[in-house]
Amino acid sequence: MDSSELYHVKQQFILGAFKTLVNLTLPDPNSSDYTPTLLYQARAHIALNDPQSALQLIPTGSENVAVKAVASLARYIAASETDQESSLEELRDLAVEIEGDDVEGDDRDRALVRVLAGTAFARAGEVEEALETLGVDTEDLEAVAIIVQIYLSINRPDLAKKQFERSKRWAEDDLLLQLIESTIGLVTGKDAYANTSSFYTEQLGNPSLTSPHVLTARGVTRILRNEISEAKSDLEESLEQQTADAETLAALVVAAGLGALKKVDTDELWARLATEHPTHPLVIDMASKAELFDECVGKFAVPPLAG
Amino acid sequence: MSVMLTKFESKSNRVKGLAFHPTQPLLAAALHNGSVQLWNYRMGVLVDRFEEHEGPVRGVAIHPSRALLVTGGDDYKIKVWDIRPQNRRCLFTLHGHLDYVRTVQFHHEMPWIISSSDDQTIRIWNSTSRNCIAVLTGHSHYVMSAQFHPKEDLVVSASMDQTVRVWDISGLRKGSPNQGGPSNPGGSGPGTFETFDSFSTVKYVLEGHDRGVNYAMFHPTLPLIISAADDRVIKIWRMSETKAWEVDSCRGHFNNVSSALFHPKHELIVSCGEDKTVRVWDLAKRTAIQTFRREHDRFWILAAHPNLNLFAAGHDSGLIVFKLERERPAFAVHQDSLYYVRDKYVRSYDFNTGADIGLLSVRKFGSPYVPPRTLSFNPAERAVILTISSDNGLFELTNLPQQAQGEVKDSSVDGKKGNGQSSIFVARNRFAVLNKATQIIEVRDLSNAVVKTIKPPVQTNEIFYGGTASLILSSTSTVVLYDIQQQKTIAEINSPPVKYVIWSGDGALVALMSKHTITIANKTFSTHSLIHETIRIKSGAWDDAGVFIYSTLNHVKYCLSQGDHGVICTLDNPVYLTRVKGKTVHCLDRSARPRTITFDPTEYRFKLALLRNNYEEMLYIIRTSTLLGQSIIAYLQQKGFPEIALHFVEDTNTRFELAIECGNLDVAMETAKSIDRVECWERLAQQALKQGNHKIVEKAYQQTKNFDKLSFLYLATGSTDKLSKMQKIAEARGDPMSRFHNALYAGDVFGRISVMRDVGLYPLAYLTAKTNGLEEIAAEILEVAGLTEADIDDVPTFPSSDLKPPPVVTSTTNINWPSVSAGENFFDRVLADGNLEGGVEPAYVNGDAQAGASSALDAWAREEEVHDDIDPEEEGWELDAHGEEFQPEHGDDEPAAVEEELGAGATPGVSETELWVRNSPLAADHVAAGSFETATQLLNRQLGIVNFALLKPLFLSVYRSSHTYLSPVASLPPLHLHIRRNPTESSPSRVLPVAARSLQSVRVELAEGYRFVSGNKLTEAQGTFRSVLMALLLVVLSSDEEAKQWRETVTAAREYLLGVSIELERRRVAEAEPDNVRRNLELAAYFTQCELQAPHMQIALRSAIGVFAKANNQAHAARFAKRLLELKPDPKIVAQARQRIAAGDRNPRNAVEVSYDEFTPFEICAVTYTPIYKGSPSIHCPYTDASYLPQFKGSLDPLTQLTEIGAAASGLPAPW
Repeated sequence: MDSSELYHVKQQFILGAFKTLVNLTLPDPNSSDYTPTLLYQARAHIALNDPQSALQLIPTGSENVAVKAVASLARYIAASETDQESSLEELRDLAVEIEGDDVEGDDRDRALVRVLAGTAFARAGEVEEALETLGVDTEDLEAVAIIVQIYLSINRPDLAKKQFERSKRWAEDDLLLQLIESTIGLVTGKDAYANTSSFYTEQLGNPSLTSPHVLTARGVTRILRNEISEAKSDLEESLEQQTADAETLAALVVAAGLGALKKVDTDELWARLATEHPTHPLVIDMASKAELFDECVGKFAVPPLAG
Repeated sequence: MSVMLTKFESKSNRVKGLAFHPTQPLLAAALHNGSVQLWNYRMGVLVDRFEEHEGPVRGVAIHPSRALLVTGGDDYKIKVWDIRPQNRRCLFTLHGHLDYVRTVQFHHEMPWIISSSDDQTIRIWNSTSRNCIAVLTGHSHYVMSAQFHPKEDLVVSASMDQTVRVWDISGLRKGSPNQGGPSNPGGSGPGTFETFDSFSTVKYVLEGHDRGVNYAMFHPTLPLIISAADDRVIKIWRMSETKAWEVDSCRGHFNNVSSALFHPKHELIVSCGEDKTVRVWDLAKRTAIQTFRREHDRFWILAAHPNLNLFAAGHDSGLIVFKLERERPAFAVHQDSLYYVRDKYVRSYDFNTGADIGLLSVRKFGSPYVPPRTLSFNPAERAVILTISSDNGLFELTNLPQQAQGEVKDSSVDGKKGNGQSSIFVARNRFAVLNKATQIIEVRDLSNAVVKTIKPPVQTNEIFYGGTASLILSSTSTVVLYDIQQQKTIAEINSPPVKYVIWSGDGALVALMSKHTITIANKTFSTHSLIHETIRIKSGAWDDAGVFIYSTLNHVKYCLSQGDHGVICTLDNPVYLTRVKGKTVHCLDRSARPRTITFDPTEYRFKLALLRNNYEEMLYIIRTSTLLGQSIIAYLQQKGFPEIALHFVEDTNTRFELAIECGNLDVAMETAKSIDRVECWERLAQQALKQGNHKIVEKAYQQTKNFDKLSFLYLATGSTDKLSKMQKIAEARGDPMSRFHNALYAGDVFGRISVMRDVGLYPLAYLTAKTNGLEEIAAEILEVAGLTEADIDDVPTFPSSDLKPPPVVTSTTNINWPSVSAGENFFDRVLADGNLEGGVEPAYVNGDAQAGASSALDAWAREEEVHDDIDPEEEGWELDAHGEEFQPEHGDDEPAAVEEELGAGATPGVSETELWVRNSPLAADHVAAGSFETATQLLNRQLGIVNFALLKPLFLSVYRSSHTYLSPVASLPPLHLHIRRNPTESSPSRVLPVAARSLQSVRVELAEGYRFVSGNKLTEAQGTFRSVLMALLLVVLSSDEEAKQWRETVTAAREYLLGVSIELERRRVAEAEPDNVRRNLELAAYFTQCELQAPHMQIALRSAIGVFAKANNQAHAARFAKRLLELKPDPKIVAQARQRIAAGDRNPRNAVEVSYDEFTPFEICAVTYTPIYKGSPSIHCPYTDASYLPQFKGSLDPLTQLTEIGAAASGLPAPW
């Protein structure tokens, strides 16, 4: 059973309140909460795409596998494309290591190693390796969350649902389980995204935490529900709290394109996203689509202008 | 009248009323027990029952055009029913009669119902207002029937007061029937009879019957009335404008006559009575022709079908439906001519020209009421033999005149007659006559002299032409092919009684038709196939390709020579097929009128082509038609042609099944990859194993992680290196048993020892090491086990083992077993050539029966070979020494690949964008899905767009607005989410992308363009209109209404764009070439011809007025001013315009001559800005429909700069 502080930290992590986590003061190094909190904080840094801070936070020389795994993940994300392989190897080794008995760390740490390794593998596009590492029969909800998202990303909502149904049996009404369900809803659109929408609305009403990420998520859900002006207000509010959040910005661009904003403003917003976050998948995707377009256009011979 | 054919009978309570449905095979019967039944007499089923009347129902009628039924009963009520099965109910009840209702009837065009009642009145009701609109009083006893005249405003009624009355109801039509009596405002409720009487008057009172009259009706066309009475007499009355009188009586019934009808087509009367008979009378002679007697049941009611030769009679215990004569016309086909009998005339009909002429009268042949039964034609002599069933069977041989003459020849002039039931030509100068009673067939010459007498070998009921000098004899259970010359049976086939025989065009095949079966035989009866039908077979004809087309009561069907058959189309009424030519079936309808039916022969042609291995034609059909649904695939599979089906099936599951079935491993492999289910891989492995393709077996085992089998396969193929890799994999999997197996297979002693050591089986490890002479390792094991040599003294020593796996003799690891080449089939070749599109249309052999039929025979002969050709199971095993050489495989199957597969969890599913593309034919949706290639193709095809470069920002913004991202889990790549058009729709087969641009938003943009025009910002306006036209390309439409709006918006934007472009050009001309006044004026004038809204039109006109006035073209300026006034502008502008008109009147001249004729409608070429007057050639933009001079065909349209002028375009699809 976690202490209430740790529980709170975990909840914030799940709901994407990474900023709050990063600014958290760590508990006493001797307290049992220290390492887990540290891990969450480091992971929050990583989630904010700031692996360097995470690396600074992590004590060097720790033998705890989870700590090592977080460091590896941070290094993986920090590394340029060519150097990523070594970090992946570290994670692979760790994933093998935790099978043995002589490692430092409890069951939770082992599960976390798998989660982190799975995250890295999924990022690297090694879907099968990720699934293998996480184990599709795992009883760790974090792992399930990742598995579900992987399944969803390869258009297998059926498998995702199976995972969810399976987890329901032992995870009861965990917040993360609700998130998983809502995530599946995002993709399948069951009942007009009702589940997802009410989940995020509920979490927004949660007095013990504020996370602009939840606002963004609801904004995105509202876009999916074709409630464009409501989505716009959510997203703008979220953007006020986290000016540079790529995800929110990208979602706002989409809402704008669907009529929330004038064309000029939309283009401006898009230009901002493209320059500030050149690696956001939307930006990358659009670039490839632009190429695709040119390719397709080339297939038609344009006759000379009449006259 | 020799026949009365009962078609249907039902048992029930006494039937008092009957009514036929005019178009469907339905009959309504009113029963004495209060029920009203609705029968389908063709199928013989009770369709419905209406049971709300209390007490007997006597009157019933069906509306001539609507699904309505009216009934009247002893409960004084008249009820109107909806008889559509889905909302069958009583619509309303008419109250008013004060005693039993006897008959009811709908008017043929007015919403009127007439009823007769025992309350001595006849009432007419308006079924719309549900009011009684007239009460006809005058009869002094029960009114037994009342009927409208089929055309005029007359009513005829019959009453127990012994009179028949004719009523004039024309007043009713002139009046305003809905309000009862407008001329008499005092009375408008039921019961005030005086009111109604002003509308109808008794015209004639027909007296003559000595007892009460039960029924009276008008003749459908002649001014005649028939009545049936209790005095056992049927009377015929004639009417003129002024009077009516009795013509004659038909006597014969020996009890009350209940009902009598005119035959709707022929000069006949049908009557029925309580003497338990139905009688048929000749209307002209008033003589009885036929009597049909029933044992116990008195007849109460008769009904005639309005169009068909069908009657119904109701009696004490049910009803019967009957017809009075055979309908099947006698006919024969010779080449392109049909010889047939209609109304006792032999006629010829030319299939090509449709010329239909009467050639010969046969009115005096046999009974005048019976049509000839058969006709046999002799082309050499141009003679016909007719048979008729009257007088115990007669035949008559007559020559047809060469040409149709003015006076049609009568057969009695030179016809040669005789007795016989069946008679046909058997040779140029011989014909055969069957006498059924004596069972003798006589062969006669053309002078009707008997030249030969034959005793048929079986009890023969009918004879048919059997080929040269042969007869086909039909007996009760067999059909015999009989040689006349040798007088012997050639062949005999068991069959129910054959009624018709149809030979194929070339005489190679014959169809023997009986009531429910068709036997298709070749000309020697040596092969034959049988088709069974549950419905009556009516007729048939051969397609020139050797397909038999036949008709049943309600279908036209086809049948291939080997017995496959299927439906071509359904029929409302039976027809008699005479000839099939291409897509046309020629036939005679029930009244013996030639008709044609067109149908789609694709399905049977395809099957025929398949039977004949005619791949070109199959290819052609595959390419050009859309028939290839599940049924055809199933057919191909069932007929053993899976490899052909494989070529055009797209569904991966079906493809896999087919590929496995025909052993096409490549395709099976490919599809298995995309299906990726364990069962598939297993089946693939099985099939590949059968065919000896161990590479594929290996792949399949890898996919299913079937390690044991994989290892064994490697052992079998001698693949030692892979075995060692399997060992490693087993190690990784932590499966010592598998490791051991693999080590054993690989002959790897060290491996075995190490497995056993790892699992702690030191004794075994030790012994293994020892027996293999590995002393050092054995010692090591001992040491590890903490023992010394001394401790194991008691272990017996085994001799050194020399067992080893067999050595690899032929390395098959990298080569598959050789297999017989599957033989490239036609489709492989075509597909390899990539010219599936290029098949040549085969000359389909219609009209050229020879070619078609000879190949039909070949197809028969070949039938069995076909099956041999393609036994997929076997071909893999046939080791052919001369086959392919051993081909070393180059592709190295890295076991790394195996390892990758091991973790395999899931293959990607179908992405949402793919679904969008599948679900929508709209370019906008394809753009949203990012499928730009298909989107551009769609736009090109639908709207002729070629210059897509301009659309790039639009495409990209639509795509961008259709997807969004969210990361629910930290540090994972965000989920790609797809925005749907309808958030409540999540079924994969219906999801569609969000409509990024709505028609509404585009119209807002258009309005912005209008503002630019008003503000004189023409360049901006031009840009806006162009952008509007682009945006409209990607607007999603969802209804016809929207599609209409869309088209209007396109047109409006185009007109404004054109107008603005013209005005911009005018300004350029005015600036650049100030001397070109003429062009300046013309452009100003053309601007006013664009369809602009009133405010903008005012601007255009005022601008034109100014320019023209300045150029001193006062007359034109005045015209523009007049047009301006019509738009009702501001008072100030009105004043200016009036001045301009006045100036024009003062000086009606034009200083500059311009090419502008406002009185002839014209369109403006959007390139040259010159008029294209109505009637001159022009071509159009496939998208906006803007007009261009023809010389610009193929160029890029300058208005939108998107389309190719004059390109073909299909327009937008309407998927809603």
